[in-house]
Amino acid sequence: MIMDNLAQYIIDSALFILKGGILTVELYFVTILFSIPLGICFALMKISRYKLLREITGFYTWVFRGTPLLLQLFFTYYGLAVVGITLQPFSAAAITFVVNYTAYLTEIYRAGIESIDRGQHEAAHALNMNYFQTMRRIILPQAVRRTIPPTCNEAINLVKDTALVSVIGMSDLLISAKEIFARDFVIIPFIIAAVIYLVITTVIVYFFRKIEARYSIY
Amino acid sequence: MQMLKAENIIKSFGSHRVLNSVSLEINKGEVIAVIGPSGSGKSTLLRCFNGLEEIDSGMILIENETFSCKEPGMKDTVKHGAKRAMQKKIGMVFQNFNLFPHRTVLENIIEAPVTVNKMNKKEAVQMAELLLEKVGLADKKNSYPSKISGGQKQRVAIARALGMNPDIMLFDEPTSALDPELTGEVLKTMTDLAREKMTMFVVTHEMRFAAEIADRIIFMDDGIILADDKPDKILTSPDHFRIKSFIEKVGQ
Repeated sequence: MIMDNLAQYIIDSALFILKGGILTVELYFVTILFSIPLGICFALMKISRYKLLREITGFYTWVFRGTPLLLQLFFTYYGLAVVGITLQPFSAAAITFVVNYTAYLTEIYRAGIESIDRGQHEAAHALNMNYFQTMRRIILPQAVRRTIPPTCNEAINLVKDTALVSVIGMSDLLISAKEIFARDFVIIPFIIAAVIYLVITTVIVYFFRKIEARYSIY
Repeated sequence: MQMLKAENIIKSFGSHRVLNSVSLEINKGEVIAVIGPSGSGKSTLLRCFNGLEEIDSGMILIENETFSCKEPGMKDTVKHGAKRAMQKKIGMVFQNFNLFPHRTVLENIIEAPVTVNKMNKKEAVQMAELLLEKVGLADKKNSYPSKISGGQKQRVAIARALGMNPDIMLFDEPTSALDPELTGEVLKTMTDLAREKMTMFVVTHEMRFAAEIADRIIFMDDGIILADDKPDKILTSPDHFRIKSFIEKVGQ
């Protein structure tokens, strides 16, 4: 049956899997879009001179880096429902991913900001720049450049982590592949899924390389 | 006219008292060289003058306005905002240049005038080009700091500080991080500036600069000012044996 028209079978399967892939990509972009700016804000809070801000953000990264993403996903989707907060699967997944990835990015950006020489702050101070001007114009542009490689790592991890949403009943790329597998009992859908993941991560790596090249003019 | 006045400045780092009741006056147009052994508090004193270090107690006046006034253990009576406004009059040049590496030479100079003073960008560029011409680096305006020499970096740093149109310039060992053959160009730029009657407070180990350009030399040792006098007096017939031995050691 399958061998009659292998090419057609692959195309049909790929299209079906790609449909699931749309969800993966959506979740991916929502997470990236929110976690990067939030990560920068929280990083600034984590090194703020206000102890309360430092402690809140410290607690936050401690909890969300210290527990499994899968558990956090269960908590948001099933756990919160118990106390009356019911979320759509996509919202639950998006919130969990944003909160989880922001925690990692917060630490990455904190380290990046702290790696900038004190002299840069002092020069900005001597030029009468205030805190926001100093951060926005002097410190963050340099820190962001240094944190491109670890951010790229997180961006790649995120592609693969999106596969976890199957546990709250969402049909993402991987689940779509598994559905075909369950129906036909052939290995092809898994290979197709692997190829799609590889294509996505390749695009991401290419994209980050471009940014890195753009930033390495000095 | 009095440019800056410091009274009984006390500053400690932990239990170590770095400045032990330092008082001095700087007049407009004066060039003051501050010399003394390392750890004597020279740089700390300079950094107090633009708020990079907070004094423990004492008073600093800039153009007769209180910049800092503190009783031991009390808060500064001058508010942060007022301090910042006054600090605009003070330019600073660092030992390690501290240029912004992600900005070109020109961008380094226009950064603060544009973002802080809201200067029109076109005007800022014109001003920066003039300043670069003055320090002899007009051809480097589009270079990044990593592509120019240490001496050139320091001249850019001087131009950058001048871009904010300061009334007094603080130099914190401006040639100490430079190879010996590059100190000359920086000292020349500073000499030009002194000729234009810029008020300058220069922490330095360059005895020739101190001797030839400075109007006064301040000798600091162990957190106090041991001497504050004309260069030839301090360099040729110092009253204090510590000054004498220091000058012999640095081999004028």
